[in-house]
Amino acid sequence: MDDSSNVKFRLNNSELWGGLIGLGLGIFVIRSGLKLKLGTINDPGSGYVLFYTGILMCVFAATIIVAALTEGGPTFGSRWQNARWTKPAIVIACLIVFAFALDTFGFLLSSIPLTLLLMRLIDPVRWEIAIPVSIIVPAGMWWLLKRALGIQLPSGMFEIG
Amino acid sequence: MDTLINVAHGFGVALAPINLLYCFIGVFIGTLVGVLPGIGPISAMSLLLPVTLSGTPESGIIMMAGIYYGSMYGGSTTSILVNIPGEAASVVTCIDGHQMAKQGRAGPALGISAFGSFIAGTFALVALMLVAPKLASVAIAFGPAEYFSLMVLGLVVLTFLTQGSMAKALLMACIGVVLGLIGLDSITAQPRMTFGRMELIDGIGLVPVVMGLFGVAEVLLNTEQVIRRDIINARITQLLPSKEDWKASAGPMGRGTILGFFLGILPGGGAVVASFASYALEKRLSKTPERFGNGAIEGVAGPEAANNAAAGGAFIPLMTLGIPPNVVMALLLGAFVIHGLQPGPLMITQNPGLFWGIVASMYIGNLMLLVLNLPMIGMWVQLLKLPYNILFPLIILFTIIGVYCSSNNVFDVHVMIAFGVIGYFMRKLGYEPAPLVLAFVLGPMLENNLRKSLILSQGDLTTFVTRPISAVCLLFAVVLLIGPLLPALRKKRELVALDEGA
Repeated sequence: MDDSSNVKFRLNNSELWGGLIGLGLGIFVIRSGLKLKLGTINDPGSGYVLFYTGILMCVFAATIIVAALTEGGPTFGSRWQNARWTKPAIVIACLIVFAFALDTFGFLLSSIPLTLLLMRLIDPVRWEIAIPVSIIVPAGMWWLLKRALGIQLPSGMFEIG
Repeated sequence: MDTLINVAHGFGVALAPINLLYCFIGVFIGTLVGVLPGIGPISAMSLLLPVTLSGTPESGIIMMAGIYYGSMYGGSTTSILVNIPGEAASVVTCIDGHQMAKQGRAGPALGISAFGSFIAGTFALVALMLVAPKLASVAIAFGPAEYFSLMVLGLVVLTFLTQGSMAKALLMACIGVVLGLIGLDSITAQPRMTFGRMELIDGIGLVPVVMGLFGVAEVLLNTEQVIRRDIINARITQLLPSKEDWKASAGPMGRGTILGFFLGILPGGGAVVASFASYALEKRLSKTPERFGNGAIEGVAGPEAANNAAAGGAFIPLMTLGIPPNVVMALLLGAFVIHGLQPGPLMITQNPGLFWGIVASMYIGNLMLLVLNLPMIGMWVQLLKLPYNILFPLIILFTIIGVYCSSNNVFDVHVMIAFGVIGYFMRKLGYEPAPLVLAFVLGPMLENNLRKSLILSQGDLTTFVTRPISAVCLLFAVVLLIGPLLPALRKKRELVALDEGA
């Protein structure tokens, strides 16, 4: 790793941010443990293990932060160097839209466009293959699950499927 | 005599047509995911976990086990022919296997790998049959303190063997424990961290978490790169190794088998560590270590035997103690739990049909794999040409369907997508998901045993160090935790560190 991709006291030090997120989660877990009551050592309560796990999380996160500040760490940019970062970003966006669409539009109306989009956007599959595959596979799976296994996939507000 | 009767009973279960079919499906899918780079046994098993719901427990678990050891076989094909490991345990096979293929010896490399895997797999099963019942009878005496310490040791070993910073791996394990504790407290029935959502009262499901972290995240990572494949196109002939090949491979195969089996039993260990350890051992023992890396057949025979023996050995802690030693076994534990079964010392006596049926099916599965891997090698090579731009969207679709079918709940699909995105960023920032998943499964058991031990000992913490087995486990765990601070041990850790998710 060259010097420009290994930074110490910089905001784009990815190790530092990883540690800070861990620390935040640890504090949250400690608070949740305290809220649930710790009990006593003879009779540990619901929050006992959570509280001590939270403390351990803070210790490990602090270790990561100290290492990031003293030894430095790769920048966010270097983590995605030579990677086609737009491709996973597109897939993530498609999945988030799908997550909201699934309940509203049902399985068939949301999974067919999702499959087609993924086929065209990751590494474009020719239309003459992408269209039939993205219709036949979700519809085939829906049919198989409904008819053969009796599993009802979400049908959405249009009651399709 | 008892063992023989039990084995016969097991074959009776395993040879039932439905179980034979599930066994075949398991080893076929296992070989398939082993052959295809980018999809490992963990992703495949998590994808198929919901399928186990539809059949009997025997059928489902036979299929899941088949996927695991099947992938060990299949992974070597890709390593040898394409120089891309089909799954993590076959990374070492690339080194000499692909060199052999380049020298026109792909046939003997594939052959010795298949025979080595078969022999080691068979040995591991015989050892499993002999060791498991004995260990189970000892394990009956284990109390909550022993279980707690064993689980702590398992988690520490896995974090020790995980790639990258140990602090990160330990942080992941802690997050896994916390996620595992979401839902109703098993002792007080108090809801924990449910944020008022009814869907979280029963906790987060294993299926969406694993499918997200391994299935979806794996696809997201793979879309970043254009996967190049340099397939050996020459016709593969003479799959049977020559007499010289057998002579050179016999020792490495034997040593790899024994080493792999014992490394498989150890909590946190597994096929990946075993294959690396075997390669290092053979190179050290060889009179001509310079041949390693240039097509030495010993470098294929040893690791391939080791990873298959380890796959068999890993069943021992799960079946006898109920503690999964690695993530794959954690998924298998999930399959048991889905069917309301709890593997452990009493399972062999209370449910002999299940235990011996699974063991017998593994032997049948090994035979099936030998048939699948040698004569059908051409078909697997053709599969390597399957375009990933079609495969990846379909994997995403199947994960969505799989998660929905496991619970009939759209919320779980949302959880899977969230964990997929989290898993992707975790991997990018160097946080491995394997400790998280193992801790997620062990978390509730860990808490239960800790609280029970404290209640039984009236808050006396020395109970963990005054009981010999518990003390030894904790001592090992402490050594491994302090170990990375010592430069010599840190170097060793970096050498054996593994990427379970690969």
